[in-house]
Amino acid sequence: MTAAWRRIRAVAANTFLEAVRQKVFAVLLVFGLVLLGGANYFAEFSFQEQFKFLKDLGYAAISLTGLLVGLLGAAQLIPAEIERRTILTALCRPLRRWEFVVGKYLGLVALLAVMLVLMAAVFWGVLFWKELQLTGIEAGDAAAVEAIRGEARDPRLWQAFLLIAAKLFVVSGLAVFFSTVATSTTFVVAMTLMVYLIGHLQGVAREQWLESGEALGWGLRVFLAAVTLFVPDFNAYSLIDEIVAGNNLAWRATLEVLAYSVVYVGVLLVAASWVFEGRDL
Amino acid sequence: MIPAVRTSGLRKEFRLGWGRGRVLALAGLDLEVGRGEVFGLLGPNGSGKSTAMKMILGLLRPTSGLAEVCGDAAGTLAARRRIGFLPENPYFPSFLCGAELVRYYGKLTGMDGKALERRVEELLALVRLGGEAGRRPLRTYSKGMLQRIGLAGALVSDPEIVMLDEPTAGVDPAGSREIRDLIRSLKQAGKTVVFSSHLLEQVEDVADRVVILHRGEKLREGRLEELLTLTGEWQVRTAGLGEAPRRELREWLRERGAKILQEGAPRERLEEYYLRNLPEGETR
Repeated sequence: MTAAWRRIRAVAANTFLEAVRQKVFAVLLVFGLVLLGGANYFAEFSFQEQFKFLKDLGYAAISLTGLLVGLLGAAQLIPAEIERRTILTALCRPLRRWEFVVGKYLGLVALLAVMLVLMAAVFWGVLFWKELQLTGIEAGDAAAVEAIRGEARDPRLWQAFLLIAAKLFVVSGLAVFFSTVATSTTFVVAMTLMVYLIGHLQGVAREQWLESGEALGWGLRVFLAAVTLFVPDFNAYSLIDEIVAGNNLAWRATLEVLAYSVVYVGVLLVAASWVFEGRDL
Repeated sequence: MIPAVRTSGLRKEFRLGWGRGRVLALAGLDLEVGRGEVFGLLGPNGSGKSTAMKMILGLLRPTSGLAEVCGDAAGTLAARRRIGFLPENPYFPSFLCGAELVRYYGKLTGMDGKALERRVEELLALVRLGGEAGRRPLRTYSKGMLQRIGLAGALVSDPEIVMLDEPTAGVDPAGSREIRDLIRSLKQAGKTVVFSSHLLEQVEDVADRVVILHRGEKLREGRLEELLTLTGEWQVRTAGLGEAPRRELREWLRERGAKILQEGAPRERLEEYYLRNLPEGETR
């Protein structure tokens, strides 16, 4: 193991430990888990609709909880350390600034991964419980039992989880980038949310930019170009909706989105490290 | 021999932002700190002490000039490997306990495994935070305990140079004495210590050499005995001298044209008196 990786791991472990010991994250996790568990009691439709509802609500709960954790966690990463001056005692050591940024990001990703695994486990528990319930009711109908099992054990759920995780990791990367520029946690949260929202319209901006030609003023074209080139396309992750709707989703499409996320996070971390390198502490 | 710390024309201006111009924090500081020296940075608030330290540590980028640590440019990994640092009013991650903090800093310097565990125990004992105290969360620590755990963190990699920014600020007299004793023991171990303080008596107690800064400018620099010795005056301190010999002595001095500037029983320093009157366990 290289010395740099050892230092990154130390920063990541410390970041993870800090988050785990903060009550706010535990509260958010409990909120997410209760939402997932409670979803079981809202559904009073046909079994197909019940599963659709459960999946819809489940993914929404996981996404929302993950988004809040990612935003709050990342916002605290660097501005809070600068404010408390704890960063001085870390960066006066033989630790490169990019190692600090990457370590902080990985610590946050580890926190998100643990939360996602926990929430996924509860989600699958809820689906399994629903399967037991419904197969009991439909015991006489072999075709219905088979269809219920198919819904509850749908392998596409893995694709959905990977897409949610990738989206959250990109949001966290954005927040880490803004935290290297910002002096306040509010700024980080506000900027990240703004880019997150604009990112859902990135596709529209791209289309406008590519197709408008000279019809738009140069100011608007520059803005659309900036959105297209710098803001991540969060609509790419709406493939989850296809899965919830019961449509087949090719693994190739999922892997493309994952690769896009990896590249985007990489670029964000390089940019964050570069900005942070020149910052006075 | 390459000095432990050298700065040449080290200057720092901070941008105020929004077109409000710049403020000068340090105006071309030239400095050399020899190896094994205890060096004091003195000056009022805003004189540039912390700015100079941060530039030597690579936490701030100089506007111009250079800083070197044992010949390596300040801020490089090679330079930072040689330094242990305790900032002013240190804040540490409050979710950690004392031992975890020292362990974390050890890992950041590349230490690991049993060697790190041994070092952590050794340092906790050195700063009197071994056992239960080392396992308490830092948010329950007093100011003095935080300062001591900070020192342990600064020393974890056994650095050649120890930089302490106001190490005794806010610490009670006994704690302050302990820190000064520690500085002396670091010197005995061959370490270079660079520290800043407002508390001049305490600096006098431990420093070999000092620099006085004011509004970013160097006012004076030198060895304490050179700076503080009043040339042209002489002082004798005796015991068992009764009133009659005192009168004779005064007369004798007057006859030889000496002007008596001060006379009387010497006073102990308040700190000495205070520490002498505390119960034994409280001072050590």
